[in-house]
Amino acid sequence: MSASTRSFRGTAAVLPAVVLVVVVVGGGLGTVVLQSLGLMPFVGTPELSVDAYSALGGDLWRSVVLTLSIAVVSTALATVIGLAAALTALSGGRTPLVAAGLTVTVPHLIGAAAMALLLADSGMLPRILGMTDGGWPELVGGKWWIAVVAEYAWKESAFVAVVVAGTLATRVAAFDETAATLGAGRWARLRLVTLPLARPALIASAAIAFAYTVGSYEVAHILGRPYPEPLSVMAIRLFTSIDLQTRPQAAAAATIATALTVAVAAVALHYLRRSAAWK
Amino acid sequence: MNRVEVNRVLPAVGRSVLVLWFLLPLIPVVLWAISNRWSFPGSVPQEWGFDGVRSALDAGGVDAFVRSTLLALAVAVIATPLGALAARALVNGSVRFPAFVAGVLFAPLALPPFAVALGLDVLVLRSRIPSTVAVIALLTVAAIPYTTYLMRVAFGAYDIGYEEEARTLGASSAMVLRRIRIPLLAPASAGAALLAFLVAWSDYVITLLIGGGRLVTVPILVASFAAGTGNDSVVAALSVAALIPPLLLVLMLARLRRRSAR
Repeated sequence: MSASTRSFRGTAAVLPAVVLVVVVVGGGLGTVVLQSLGLMPFVGTPELSVDAYSALGGDLWRSVVLTLSIAVVSTALATVIGLAAALTALSGGRTPLVAAGLTVTVPHLIGAAAMALLLADSGMLPRILGMTDGGWPELVGGKWWIAVVAEYAWKESAFVAVVVAGTLATRVAAFDETAATLGAGRWARLRLVTLPLARPALIASAAIAFAYTVGSYEVAHILGRPYPEPLSVMAIRLFTSIDLQTRPQAAAAATIATALTVAVAAVALHYLRRSAAWK
Repeated sequence: MNRVEVNRVLPAVGRSVLVLWFLLPLIPVVLWAISNRWSFPGSVPQEWGFDGVRSALDAGGVDAFVRSTLLALAVAVIATPLGALAARALVNGSVRFPAFVAGVLFAPLALPPFAVALGLDVLVLRSRIPSTVAVIALLTVAAIPYTTYLMRVAFGAYDIGYEEEARTLGASSAMVLRRIRIPLLAPASAGAALLAFLVAWSDYVITLLIGGGRLVTVPILVASFAAGTGNDSVVAALSVAALIPPLLLVLMLARLRRRSAR
């Protein structure tokens, strides 16, 4: 086979997937950006403007701060807990990893329903703990978005655990034995062997979890409070409102959410490139 | 306690806490699904039974279950070969601009699905594409990063030597495909298909926005009940139903992996 036939075949093989992604993502996000800038109005002539963004005013920034806070806290928790579960699997006990594998298969919407049954003031936890006389803190729909953060941290920690354990399983054992033979203690092996090997998978899975949290809707919708709203909840409320005038504002909120996840992906890629074990 | 005991007890405590963390949220769901009455503030259900399951069946639970399954199967059937084709070309280095192609295929991971769905919904309305087709297309796009990644790892570890050996021994192309390539790649393809199935099975927001309420899947049904009050046992019964298919598939995949490892 000549080089050009080979390259033609290779290009033809990636084409179906690439075309589908480009058409769907390009079409969807292109429309959202154009709509947010007033270039795709339902009625009237297209005109470039940032009215949709300014119409959201201070609420937009409150939503950005809230979205980022929820994502940062839940991703941090998920990363630490997920890493801990992956590390326990190395030292022999695989039960946490099996439990994480079960949690990974739970749809987020079901997870949200489950958290409500567990953490609401009539949920299972206050009943078991006997805090049924009004002393239970407002975890669902409360000021601090605890149930929302708990759901993301729960689901994404399972994801991080499975991804990190998957990469560690194939690589750590040999290096770890060598280091132990050379006299490295438990702590030194963790710091100098295991963590550097886990780093790329940890960065990638944390970034995916973060992007997921920013782009997720149902968890905050079910377990959150009406105001202020995360960007996704704001966008979908405005999008499904009977007032067609708010469509560009919905598109503006969606555009900002996209910008946030793209920025985080760029940061993650930067750190992935710098970590030596990345292939 | 002396040092040795601490070293033995601490990891065991840590493991138990982690297992509890992963399993605790699922316990009330399972309890609610098999109780008829669990009034506040009882810490265990007062009356066990399957009223929730019955209400879920009456509310169209079976139809939603079939619809969810078909949707997830469609996405798995499309996203797995697309990912496998792209992954093979990326691994054997025959693609021009490989970094760009990989970037495009992994991009859906970094983009909010609701934003893509909002825009796509407008296009679907204007172009009159059937909304189910658009839902399948968008879910396939969401699954492609996972199928591509898993198949890329599989092709990267694939030893072409087996194929060459078989050829030397006189095997035809069809035989090589049937006896060598498919068996060797089966566990990875099954894993990729499972992830694609999960992406579609778990989705709520894409089906909601583009399906426009006409495509009633299990998550859509759960959400409509969860929005009201007093539906705890129906929500729980539907939730348990939503947990079973992925769980069965994970167990089947684990068996396939063990068998092919032997």
